[in-house]
Amino acid sequence: MAPRTLLLTLANLLLPVAILVFATGFFPYKPFMPGLAEYEELGWEDRMGWEKGSGKESLPEAPFERLVFMVVDALRSDFVYGEGSGMAFVQSLIRDGTALPFTAHATSPTITMPRVKAMTTGSIPSFLDVILNFAESDTTSTLATQDTWLAQIKAKEGGKLVMYGDDTWLKLFPDFFVRADGTSSFFVSDFTEVDHNVTRHVPRELGEKDWNAMVLHYLGLDHIGHKAGPKSPNMVPKQKEMDEIVRQIYTAIESQDHLANTLFVLCGDHGMNEGGNHGGSAPGETSPALVFMSPKLKKVTQFTDRTSPIKPGGGEFEYYRMVEQSDIAPTLAGLLGFPVPRNNLGVFIEEMLGFWDDGRDRIQLLLRNARQMKRIVDATYPSLNFDDGVKDIEKECSSPKSDGQMLVCKWQDVVQIMSTIATIHPKLRIDRLYWFLRAAQETMSSTASNYDVPRLILGTSLALLSAVLTFFTLPAFRPISPQGIAYALILILYSILMFASSYVEEEHNFWYWATSAWFFYLFISSSRKEWYRKFILHPAIMLGILHRVIRRWNQTGQKFAGADDIVHSQLFHGSNSIVLWSLVGATYLDLTVRLSRHVARSIATFEGHSGVSFTEESDANRVMGMAAVLPLGATAFVFKLAFTAKDAPELTRGISVGLIQWVEGLSLVGIARMVFGGLLLSAFWIGVAEWKRTKGKKGESNGDFAVTLFDLTSLFLITQTRAQNIPLFLLFRLQFFFLSLLHLPPTSITTTTLLLSQTAFFALGNSNAISSIDLSNSYNGISSYNVLAVGLLVFLSNWAGPIYFSLAGVLLLGAHGQSRRNIALDEVDSRDWVQKEREHLEQLAMREDEGRVRRVEGDVWRAHVVLLTLWTAVGLGSVMAACTVLRSHLFVWSVFSPKFLFAGAWGVLWYFGGVVGGGGLLWGVGRW
Amino acid sequence: MTTVINSHPKPRAPANPIDILNNDAAKLYTHLHPALVLSLYAYQFRSIVADPVPALTSALVPLSILQIAYVATCLPPTGNSGSSTLQQEKRKPGEKKKPVPGKVEVGINVKIIPAFLSLLLSLLVATPLLTATLVLFGAPITTHHTHTLLCGAHIALLSTLPLVYVHGVDGETWREIVAMLLPIDEVYGGLIGTVVGAWVGAVPIPLDWDREWQKWPVTIVTGAYIGFVVGKLVGGTLLRGKKIMFE
Repeated sequence: MAPRTLLLTLANLLLPVAILVFATGFFPYKPFMPGLAEYEELGWEDRMGWEKGSGKESLPEAPFERLVFMVVDALRSDFVYGEGSGMAFVQSLIRDGTALPFTAHATSPTITMPRVKAMTTGSIPSFLDVILNFAESDTTSTLATQDTWLAQIKAKEGGKLVMYGDDTWLKLFPDFFVRADGTSSFFVSDFTEVDHNVTRHVPRELGEKDWNAMVLHYLGLDHIGHKAGPKSPNMVPKQKEMDEIVRQIYTAIESQDHLANTLFVLCGDHGMNEGGNHGGSAPGETSPALVFMSPKLKKVTQFTDRTSPIKPGGGEFEYYRMVEQSDIAPTLAGLLGFPVPRNNLGVFIEEMLGFWDDGRDRIQLLLRNARQMKRIVDATYPSLNFDDGVKDIEKECSSPKSDGQMLVCKWQDVVQIMSTIATIHPKLRIDRLYWFLRAAQETMSSTASNYDVPRLILGTSLALLSAVLTFFTLPAFRPISPQGIAYALILILYSILMFASSYVEEEHNFWYWATSAWFFYLFISSSRKEWYRKFILHPAIMLGILHRVIRRWNQTGQKFAGADDIVHSQLFHGSNSIVLWSLVGATYLDLTVRLSRHVARSIATFEGHSGVSFTEESDANRVMGMAAVLPLGATAFVFKLAFTAKDAPELTRGISVGLIQWVEGLSLVGIARMVFGGLLLSAFWIGVAEWKRTKGKKGESNGDFAVTLFDLTSLFLITQTRAQNIPLFLLFRLQFFFLSLLHLPPTSITTTTLLLSQTAFFALGNSNAISSIDLSNSYNGISSYNVLAVGLLVFLSNWAGPIYFSLAGVLLLGAHGQSRRNIALDEVDSRDWVQKEREHLEQLAMREDEGRVRRVEGDVWRAHVVLLTLWTAVGLGSVMAACTVLRSHLFVWSVFSPKFLFAGAWGVLWYFGGVVGGGGLLWGVGRW
Repeated sequence: MTTVINSHPKPRAPANPIDILNNDAAKLYTHLHPALVLSLYAYQFRSIVADPVPALTSALVPLSILQIAYVATCLPPTGNSGSSTLQQEKRKPGEKKKPVPGKVEVGINVKIIPAFLSLLLSLLVATPLLTATLVLFGAPITTHHTHTLLCGAHIALLSTLPLVYVHGVDGETWREIVAMLLPIDEVYGGLIGTVVGAWVGAVPIPLDWDREWQKWPVTIVTGAYIGFVVGKLVGGTLLRGKKIMFE
């Protein structure tokens, strides 16, 4: 016994270590070059006729002095350029040639913070920024110490910045702005206010002469996308609103002297997919628009494509020329006249070279860009030689062995063409410089995620070692049981599926598919013992029907994103929302009634009842229990209604206006705290009562306290769930009820726990995509930002279903709280004609006692933990192995790395928090 | 609850695996049949992918003919189905001895009529039940109704038609069939194979290959056909006579 426990403990401890080791190898911390870039010596001054010195002497004259940088969140390319676009003014500028349009490729992860980093520093942010995006206040993620075009503008003489819009900018650039007003995207139902708070500052700022750069970041369009997708009826009006702001700013630039030298940039930070979400690397998500506007641009747009609106070229969202989002930084540097930021991997946009008539100026701009990028290349390949000497390298460059070698050759090309006679056509030099710049950009962007392969392998091995250790603690295999085979099949199939990107994206289908078959197996298995006359009402069939409804609740995954589901159907929207709220109310009522019984029992304990009828609470106690619990249930319900009225007003249209007005006046933080406090108080009160009873040994327990804690946790989980998903918990409850009727053997219960935990996760609308993480319940009861509290609430609101079933599984295992009839077998008549009846009673008695025996012995609990440890270890191991093997796969950042993050959350937070921690607590108090 | 403790005091005689008829035609055709069924399906596959509803509907006809030919040629008809005259005929268990009346007439009475009854029962009873099961397993519920119904009909013709022919409509036998208590033979194996095949057929649907054949219900029907052939083969040879053991 002891060595087994030791092995199991070791296996458990290995899991977090494995995750940590793997994560450090998979998301390496990228060092960045600190300090601001300065103009440096160029080289080849004599040949090009540039003045020698610090490099500042013969700078090309910058065509612009001021910058308006307008970001419209999730402004996908077709929202500006397409035929259905509402941005007619921008399109007219494109036709006039005073606007230069591009599609700016945004790399995954396509969420705001990493995208802002890319646009301002010119670098490719690592995946780690996703996590930092959620841990918003983390100071290591600010750009205060990094080189950006904002820092460069600020460093200029008298450089002043102003910013209005998304407060991400304020977090990234603390103390950068002389005037600022941040808006937060907390309630995505806010389509107008959030933008109005930006627009109202614009006219005043256009009159000001002191700022050098004004940043505007509009969130409304992104909110519409999240709420109703790109085809929402609100989308075109919002585009028209944005177009109107563009007109306002552009007209000011055109007509007012102090704005004459202003460059106006309109861009999206990322796009959106057909479901209106973003975070991955679907074409829609990675293709935001990028438009440069100024009357001066006529000089460079003579030969560019001025058609507008236009049809996309190569890809579905590829309009005009495709540039990288990081190209914005060096282009702004050239156009406004400051050094290219140090960590930039962008390339100066070629069309803009037209501002300089002298070929030498053009070459100088590109050479500065190339010199800056060569520093990064130098630092990445310290062993290679990137100096300015002309060498004979034809031999090694005919087929370069490595990316680094290839860059050496490209640089040598630059060196050679720069060193030849001065009179060759500038175009030749420019071409060579672009070859080097583009090659360096491509290579460095991919090495932006260079892995620490030994760590990847070590992490994977540790997870697999944990699986092997757990394997040896498994209870005896023989006799081979079908539920054992089912468990093993799930394990094996899952490990294989993790290597296929489609199945990672569509993981929910695997669990739905397996669970249907599992319930069918339960039906067959129980039919072998006895036949239900009305087999349609067999518990396993009922489970199957419930499962069918549950899987339809939320459409999730990539392939069928946006397909019909129950949540988005007309059933719950508009005036029908009364249906939703009746179901939500039923869920709350069911829990309240359950809790009232627990309280009634505790009152009975305090009154000192004893004897056989101990658990039969009196009516008076029930009334008191209800009176005590009703305020808690009602408060929780009102909180949900008030929250939804703000977060998703379309779901509360059917509720009476008076009620909504009343709840909208309430303080959300205050009521959430009341609910949480009430839950803790109830747990404490009933806990004391149960403890007292155990101490006094008055009456035998049925593991009731475990049930109490389960019901209290359910109420908490519901508080952390979006209103439209709350009825799911009523269905979960029904599944739990039917499962308890089936009297499953322990291994079957563990398998069911696993299947339903996973099913519940996906049924609540989650998937393995970062974009599906629901943040709406992350601030319940919290008034200011706190990493731990917000992180915990995010986890609990997204994993509410899995936690529910990990705890329900424990209650099934120990049959907690199920009444026993104390059948005295000795007294049963043993005559032949009642033999059958006797057998039946024996069976009943055995079953009802089984739970108690299981609870006392505890072997079953151990086996449950062992099986779920094995599951976690194998699951993690296969995800890590898939990430290691497929690390250069096209989808590694959009599919496999998010999957690893999710697997880590399952492995650490769900497994340790839900299964071992929460489950262990229930199991422990169940023995009181 | 609706549990029935045990309404059958007398234990039933243990069921035996079904033997195919002991004549050359039966022995030959039982091997030929799976090949014919599969080739028929392969022949129609393109049109099924192109437009499932009409193609699956018309495919039902040749499938019915093949299945009727199969049961009539190879399988012993059920002992207690059909009319009472049939039962009188069957009361003589002598395998080869046939009474005097014309051979063709007997053939029709003993084989063709039960075969057609099986077809009717499969289409009218088994198809709705199987369609409901498909929906329970995740078939679309708001759209594609005809698709799912046709899918259910194909599964029914493949799996239940031969079973009805050999086991009739005795409730207790069917409970044993559902509870997987019968010994495996080529007919029962065909049922299990078809159902498992249809279930496994759902696997390729989520893949991002963007193939036409990934659409509903092509993979399910294909899985059912392949499962039927495999189940019939394995059930008739390797696993013949084995019982499925649970617990």
